[in-house]
Amino acid sequence: MEEVRYVLFDTNWPEITRFADEVSALVIDIGASSLRAGYAGDDTPKSIIPTTYGYIPTAPDSDAPMGDGATTEEASSSNNTVGGRKYAQIFLGQNGPSMWRPGMEIGNPLVDGLIQDFNPISPLIKNALEDIMRVNPSEHPVLVTEPTWNTPANRERMAEIMFEEFNVPAFYIANTGVLNAFASGKGSALVIDIGQSMASVTPVVDGFVLRKGLAYTPLPRFIHAISRNLLVNPTANRPGIELWPHQLIATKTPVDIGQQPIFTVRQDRIAQTTQSWRLWAESKEVDEWIQTVAAVSDQGWNDQLMARTMPKQYEFPSGYASNFGAERYQVGEHLFLTNNTNPNQPKTIPALVTESLRACDPELRQVLMGNIVLTGGGSLFHGLAERLNAEMLRTFPHTKIHAPGNPIERRYGGWLGGSILASLGTFHQLWISKEEWEEHGKAIVGQRCK
Amino acid sequence: MAASAADIRSALQLPESSSAAGPSQPKRQGTTATRKPEGISRELYSLIGPSQPLLAAQLAKPRFKQKPKFASAGSSATKWELRPFHNSARKDGLKLKHWAKASEDPDAGELQISEYPFAKYNVENPHHVFSQDEYTRYLEETPWTKELTDYLFELYREFDGRWYIIWDRAEFPPECHFDIDDLKDRYYGVCRKLIRNRPWPHDEASKAQLLNSLSFDKDREKMRKRYLVNLESRTPEQLAEEEALYIEIRRLEQTERRFKREREELMRTLAGLDSGLPDMIEDDGAPLGITPEVRGKKRKGVPGDAESPVTPSAVSSISSPVKKVAARDAAYDALHCIIRTGDGSGTTKAAHPPAFLRSAKIPWLKNNSIQGKIVQSFTEMGLSPSRLVMPTKENVAQLESLIEAVTAMVETKKHLDKVEYDIQVLKKQLDPQSGDDSMGEGIIKTEDPMEVDDVGGEIDGNDGRAQSVLSGRTSMCSHDTLQTQRSMSISSVDTNATSLSTRVNTKRQKRG
Repeated sequence: MEEVRYVLFDTNWPEITRFADEVSALVIDIGASSLRAGYAGDDTPKSIIPTTYGYIPTAPDSDAPMGDGATTEEASSSNNTVGGRKYAQIFLGQNGPSMWRPGMEIGNPLVDGLIQDFNPISPLIKNALEDIMRVNPSEHPVLVTEPTWNTPANRERMAEIMFEEFNVPAFYIANTGVLNAFASGKGSALVIDIGQSMASVTPVVDGFVLRKGLAYTPLPRFIHAISRNLLVNPTANRPGIELWPHQLIATKTPVDIGQQPIFTVRQDRIAQTTQSWRLWAESKEVDEWIQTVAAVSDQGWNDQLMARTMPKQYEFPSGYASNFGAERYQVGEHLFLTNNTNPNQPKTIPALVTESLRACDPELRQVLMGNIVLTGGGSLFHGLAERLNAEMLRTFPHTKIHAPGNPIERRYGGWLGGSILASLGTFHQLWISKEEWEEHGKAIVGQRCK
Repeated sequence: MAASAADIRSALQLPESSSAAGPSQPKRQGTTATRKPEGISRELYSLIGPSQPLLAAQLAKPRFKQKPKFASAGSSATKWELRPFHNSARKDGLKLKHWAKASEDPDAGELQISEYPFAKYNVENPHHVFSQDEYTRYLEETPWTKELTDYLFELYREFDGRWYIIWDRAEFPPECHFDIDDLKDRYYGVCRKLIRNRPWPHDEASKAQLLNSLSFDKDREKMRKRYLVNLESRTPEQLAEEEALYIEIRRLEQTERRFKREREELMRTLAGLDSGLPDMIEDDGAPLGITPEVRGKKRKGVPGDAESPVTPSAVSSISSPVKKVAARDAAYDALHCIIRTGDGSGTTKAAHPPAFLRSAKIPWLKNNSIQGKIVQSFTEMGLSPSRLVMPTKENVAQLESLIEAVTAMVETKKHLDKVEYDIQVLKKQLDPQSGDDSMGEGIIKTEDPMEVDDVGGEIDGNDGRAQSVLSGRTSMCSHDTLQTQRSMSISSVDTNATSLSTRVNTKRQKRG
């Protein structure tokens, strides 16, 4: 087969293309909120799908799936019997979990940033590569990312999936901390990665993670829980907010700010809505509120200052709207402020940084603090970079924070680093080829991907 | 340039005549010989002629950026093809595919196996290996076993000597308590021992160099890191105190510097330019950031020095001979015709004259009442007090002493005139009878026998008048005695200036 391509010059990264040798590799970055996949050498992933998936469990008595083709035309629907757990139907992609379906449960394969359930992983990857990107994975080397605290068993399982199920010619698994440092153009960095469920601080030296210096906590989940409490519980100024998702609201009438919402709920759907879907939909509302409204004060908490800040208006799907003033900052403050009264609070970002640095060689601390990389979708709090800078300067006078201004770069930094790495000419000797996989087995993953 | 018939024809739009006139024929040949450049009308060209290439170039059509050649522009597009290649850095037979120009080397698929461009970056640092025999003979060390040492060397190879990574990934038994410096110490120690005990194929210098590159001082490293930790773990109070102390010491230093400077200025005012403080160390205060105002002051001081009478300084610099220069320097200087004027200590400001032109050291006259007379006497001698043809050190010194002598002479003469006048007046008062005839002359002749001053010397004044110059060896300080003795002789010439003084004598004699 002879293919002819008119090459367009990629002017985005001229200094990188000098060392680049494109082998049409694919990069897959699986995070708690989304799965990113695309060609190595691109600056944005081609397909971004939620990692969360919807499924309808098989009835215990009948395993004949009843296809409702109308609702699954966008999502990949397939009989999935991998690993013994049977889904009658699985709904993936942008219209997967977010579309209401009677009796649909919601699942997420990741727990604390690690893949706990590998059953939906292959359908997710298949959906991203074959249904959205329309590529044949058996023709492309594939680079997959992993968090620093990934287990050897997990990465070997991933290699197995890629080689055995997708039949890829070559595979590599790279660390997100390293890739985030690469995405910022640094070989050595202190990567502060705030995702949807986990916040981690990873020291990277010469392209290697210092595992002893890794510090991570489920801080974003804690922030999420705090926000949810804040919204649901009534305050002196407003009643508790009912987090009805759009999908369950039949009609609503516009009301003034702060007034009780007037809306009707789709009673026909309520009965068939599963608990997991309801939980997922409500947490999505909370997340959207956080993303729209929440912020971090520049210089630290100050009651008078907070009272004077501009409130921000936000309207919930039920039609209820309110102005959020100090509450906006209250949420972000938990990233920095240790609350001694709450024993469940995870370590704050400065505490994580201190913990990470303490485990590093004293000589390295200066270097790392001069190369802080702030990344991850959870770091997009308004004012977070400035506040972090102010906090760090207090203890380390030579702090320099690199926080990409472009939200795409911030959210998909791991993917971007993988895209850079897998397009380098010098990287191609590191791929684990199918031949090597068959010869050495699982051990090759640990040997090659240090 | 005259218009040819053809030009008229073309201007009037007449048809070209086949039978051209006689004179126009050679001209046409001329124009065809030098072709009219592009972008210029024929009429204009015949006016300005062929000698205007610049103008013609300007009138030419502007050139735009070249259009990119696309496939549609006739030639077909460059063909690229997805071509498998082999990376020689890989040990397996993985064939990855990349895009390559199909035209470049259509049948080089096999050739590429050896020349993948990025394979050359796959370099491995040299590392050491040792045998069991070598280990038992040289490398035994208490906490380390052969297995642990092997493991360390394996890690070193695996991570290419990145010690931070090695230390991070190393999993030594917990009872060892190795830290990164222990690992480094062990590794480099083993390497040093191996190199020392093995036969070395190259020269000793390279061996020493290699050993030097492998040296590692564990205690020093640990101390350094302890310092680093201490530096980092300072409390804000300590930092503030440090800052305050630093500012205080800066302030003290500045005060001291100012004090010294003032003291030096005072010393100069009191005891002359040359007597700076000998311990005034050259220190421009740059590292501690002296204020620009102080610098300005300092700079202002320099022209002030230049304005002050130069004579003493010049005398000092000239009269201080090369005696203080060390012997070897003297020999060197003599060989290279270098004359040193400073006293060579070099640390004090006063003793460190910058480079100067010798002509700048020519003394100039003080602007006072007698200046005119000095100049006059110089012109009488046929000399100029401000110019020397060859201002060597000796000449300047001689000129200087000459000026001094002339000044003294003029002053003495002035004094003498005054005294003589007084004498005359007194005489007149004493002897009113003889006053008339002496008054008419204006200048009296001294009747008294001339008193020779006590130092002695030949008296040159045959007329006994003020012009007489005594080339004696009297010193300047004897003026008062001379004056009181009403001596008409002037003795001021230094021993250094004997030749000049004799010249002056001869002149005077001639005049006399």
